[in-house]
Amino acid sequence: MGKTLYLLSSGSLKRKDNTLFVERVGEKPRFLPVETTDEIMVMGELDLNKSLLEFLTQKQIILHFFNYHGYYAGTYYPREHMNSGAVILAQAAHYTDEARRHKLASTLIVGAIENMRKVVAYYQRRASLDVEDILSDLERFEAMAPQSGSVPALMGIEGNARNRYYQFFDRLVQDEAFKMVERTRRPPSNRMNALISFLNSMCYILALSQIYRTHLDPRIGFLHETNFRRFSLNLDLAEIFKPILVDRLIFSLVNRREIQEKHFEKETGGGIYLNDRGREIVLRAWETRVNETIEHPRLKRNVSYRGLMRMEAYKIQKHILDDTPYDPFVSRW
Amino acid sequence: MFSELVKVNGYLVQAFSICRRQVWLLARGVTAEQSNESLALGRLVDQNSYARERHQVGFGDNKFDFVQGADGELVVCEVKKSSRAERSARLQLAHYLYDLQKAGIEARGVLMFPTEKKRVEVELTDALKAELDCVYAEIESLAQRNVPPPAEHCKYCGKCAYAEYCWG
Repeated sequence: MGKTLYLLSSGSLKRKDNTLFVERVGEKPRFLPVETTDEIMVMGELDLNKSLLEFLTQKQIILHFFNYHGYYAGTYYPREHMNSGAVILAQAAHYTDEARRHKLASTLIVGAIENMRKVVAYYQRRASLDVEDILSDLERFEAMAPQSGSVPALMGIEGNARNRYYQFFDRLVQDEAFKMVERTRRPPSNRMNALISFLNSMCYILALSQIYRTHLDPRIGFLHETNFRRFSLNLDLAEIFKPILVDRLIFSLVNRREIQEKHFEKETGGGIYLNDRGREIVLRAWETRVNETIEHPRLKRNVSYRGLMRMEAYKIQKHILDDTPYDPFVSRW
Repeated sequence: MFSELVKVNGYLVQAFSICRRQVWLLARGVTAEQSNESLALGRLVDQNSYARERHQVGFGDNKFDFVQGADGELVVCEVKKSSRAERSARLQLAHYLYDLQKAGIEARGVLMFPTEKKRVEVELTDALKAELDCVYAEIESLAQRNVPPPAEHCKYCGKCAYAEYCWG
């Protein structure tokens, strides 16, 4: 598996002698490895040209852009290199068949809620928190999902489960500076919301990059509505991993005081965002987290969470090809 | 669902004697994980060995690693990273020779294992031709199946670029 490069400061990126060359303000210009790079995250201002994009296409490197606030702006998704007409047809057919789509979408929700429960139960044991009420509600939502009548109803259940689950955040996090109170998105109203928004988008991007390595089309999601304008399958996939990757990371960053009040800034127009230093801390922790490995029980090999995300995409591909029914990844602890 | 007949190429023939599931996946255009280490290594061995030859010579649906010729004789060469799957490599090369013969071109075949400094001559016998005719028929019926053969563990699974796909 290739590396992910993060370009946090401003500069220029170009193709030079069959490899990548980056020049940044106040830093020594340097070559970047092209063969072992899978994706590049661009946070600062970047000058680039078409010959670079052509080169990245040839090397199958995906480019993600973020705006000034660290908000995801978009992706340079190179021409598909893994083409299979059979998979695309199966994916589209699966989407248009309402019963089959509902089945897959509800399995995704069940997996997502199960992972939320794992997170809550983990901290219940560790911090002896009183969270029985949340756990039993989550269990109820999980049981409701397969019985719901439609995909929009499923989305409703997912929303309710997540709202209930977010109440657990304030019980766990003691620091007043990181109370969430309620989930707000555009713009995030406080530090906790800012952290969640930023890391959720990292999780969506991780899923997108892994889908690029499969034959699936990221525009056709099953839980999230497909409108052929933006990616949605990666949102489906990220639901499974958000509790394990994003939320657990937030708790560890905040509880260990690695991320603090001083790492946030209030912007004109309202909204609290991570500042440059804060973003760097969070990204470093994120990169370490997704590269952590666990032993895969069936593959009998260590797999990183990043690799696990791709294997999750494979599972969806196998499901739509009528190969093996989709069984979501659930954290063991 | 698919009316199109599968294009039987060397890759499919090679896969056939290793894993039926791989044949089904390849027939649907579901290729293996490209960043797989073994796969990348194999590609490098092919590219970096016999550097003076012209590699990847297309013929019909096939791609020969390279061809040599002297005194009107054609030699098709297939480069392999190791001789671990020699039987399937032999079948693959025989398939190339068979395809050439059908087009009225007689050729010899050589399997090359540069990392082992080993060469194996392959001759297209009647027995091999009969075996290949069976393989073609089986590949075609396999490709027509709506559902892939379930994953079965074999000695090639460990390093296979589909391992994460099959066992994940």
